[in-house]
Amino acid sequence: MSETTDQPVVETPQGAGKPDMIVLEGVEKIYPGSEAPAVSQLDMAIPQGEIVMLIGPSGCGKTTTLKMINRLIEPTSGRILLDGKDVTHVNGDQLRREIGYVIQQGGLFPHFSIADNIGVVPKMVGWDKQRIRERADELLHLVGLEPSVFRDRYPRQLSGGQQQRVGVARALAADPPVMLMDEPFGAIDPITRDRLQDEFLEIQRTVGKTIAFVTHDLQEAVKLGDKIAVFATGRLEQYDDPNTILTRPANDFVSDFVGGGAAVRRLSLLELSRLELHPIETDEKAVGNSNGSPVAEVDASGKPVSWRHLPGADAAGVALVTVPLSGTVYDAVDVMLDGSASLVAVVDEEGRPQGVLHWNDLVSGLRTRERDA
Amino acid sequence: MSTATSETVDLQAEESVEEVEGQQGRISSLWSQHYDLVILPAIIILLLLALFLYVGTRQLDSIEQRVLAPDNVAGLLWQQILLAAVSTVLVLVIAVPLGIVLSRRGARRAQGPVLAVGGFAQALPPFGVLLLMAFWLDFGFWTAIIGLTIAALLPVLRNTVVGLQQVDQSLIEAARGMGMTSRQTLFRVEIPLAVPVIVAGLRVALVLNVGTATLASYIGAGGLGELVQQALRLNRINVLLVAGGIIAALALLIDWLAGVAERVVVTRAG
Repeated sequence: MSETTDQPVVETPQGAGKPDMIVLEGVEKIYPGSEAPAVSQLDMAIPQGEIVMLIGPSGCGKTTTLKMINRLIEPTSGRILLDGKDVTHVNGDQLRREIGYVIQQGGLFPHFSIADNIGVVPKMVGWDKQRIRERADELLHLVGLEPSVFRDRYPRQLSGGQQQRVGVARALAADPPVMLMDEPFGAIDPITRDRLQDEFLEIQRTVGKTIAFVTHDLQEAVKLGDKIAVFATGRLEQYDDPNTILTRPANDFVSDFVGGGAAVRRLSLLELSRLELHPIETDEKAVGNSNGSPVAEVDASGKPVSWRHLPGADAAGVALVTVPLSGTVYDAVDVMLDGSASLVAVVDEEGRPQGVLHWNDLVSGLRTRERDA
Repeated sequence: MSTATSETVDLQAEESVEEVEGQQGRISSLWSQHYDLVILPAIIILLLLALFLYVGTRQLDSIEQRVLAPDNVAGLLWQQILLAAVSTVLVLVIAVPLGIVLSRRGARRAQGPVLAVGGFAQALPPFGVLLLMAFWLDFGFWTAIIGLTIAALLPVLRNTVVGLQQVDQSLIEAARGMGMTSRQTLFRVEIPLAVPVIVAGLRVALVLNVGTATLASYIGAGGLGELVQQALRLNRINVLLVAGGIIAALALLIDWLAGVAERVVVTRAG
């Protein structure tokens, strides 16, 4: 997507370091008629271009915090800065037009066509019809919906997943630098949710928005977040990158919240492409060469179909399972458990084998490849 | 792999077939969805036809001929329609804005009492209201209009309030979250989504008014009630039959028209 930003280009004095896009300073919310604050003395900074996941049990103040950023809920005290500008007292409606907002199930207007739904904010900020139409098509394309098919449909004609994609497109419509997402994938079936999350990350790679994202799903938080903010009854308990949250919880609350599954969850942070894998041989070049590497039989297109030789095991008794290189160790474990196999062939996009991951590697330590990142 | 390809081919084939059949399909689907709308007009036409044939076989005396002269009947019919239409428009103009105001955050507490008063007004017998209004104000068209308006206020008021209440709260939040002002949210989201329910209320009011307008003749506001009164006064059964038939047919026809309008609105609003 070509960036059609209306905002003036902001010079970043910090140079290489990412400046903070959203800053909350001593923000507090006490609802009328209640003693205890829903959110108390919150200090938090979200760097430009990062996804921060707000997570915690119900009533912990994560949604209240999100809605204070676009002032759908007015903070009782404290300051909110957006791109260095104090927005605590500016016109709320004007402010919200410059912040993308996605809610559960998309919140699409049933009486607006898909194109009109996407055009809501551009229309309010005064774009002409031609430009709104082009933008709607561009965004439908971005979220993977064919514009000529979908632009004139109505929300009820779309599946839940498609509606949610339109919801994301609508939030991106006027190209806001900041997006707020309130459990956008919460009401969607697990398979579709997984796909939407992947697509969402893909889109974020092109648009690079600063995103605050409320979820109650730790798996989602670990998968999507550059950082995770764990909330407990109005307080921010820990604010760190996913790996740190999982491996070094700051206190008992966080470690309870993260739960016993932390080690398993961390597997989904380990990308296969960054691991040192065992070599794999294919039959053409390795007949009789049993030097300890597993040998796979491949079909005409180079895809492995079965094991010909496994060191120290009967190759015929082990099913050959594969996992794409773009996946994570979590996916690999899943495939191995599913296929009752003690090893898995890691394949590239064309399905050709790139290496092997053994079940034993999981406990004996995974070696990451040094990358020039 | 091969099954997947054939599936996509099938899908494409289906799509192209759909396009070819699109025009025909639209008409036939329109018919299958709305064929029930043809039933009522057919009944009305049969009713009027039977009435016409029956009266045609009768020997009408000069009084009957004068009362049933097309000019006379058409004039009274027009008065009846005018009574119902004007009072319903007044109901629309009063009850819908009132309902909208009552659904706003500041005024929600007044909802209960106002709806109770509306219920009270509806519970009053319309005939009694018309007579009392006539003694209080004056005999004539506008007094009848006021009486009819009061009697039909409640369904529209209640449906406006309920229609706005049932708008999905998350849509209102989405609207505000995107930067719509509360006024824009009301006019672009809340009211359009409440329209089907409001229109249903208007339909009830209209049908109520068409029926009740028959009583307006007792306070000198004309309408088809006049025909009934003349028939009773002159003791002419044939006239009474025609009057009753026309009143019933009109009420059914208006209800049918309102039903069609309602369906158009609902289809539009999705």
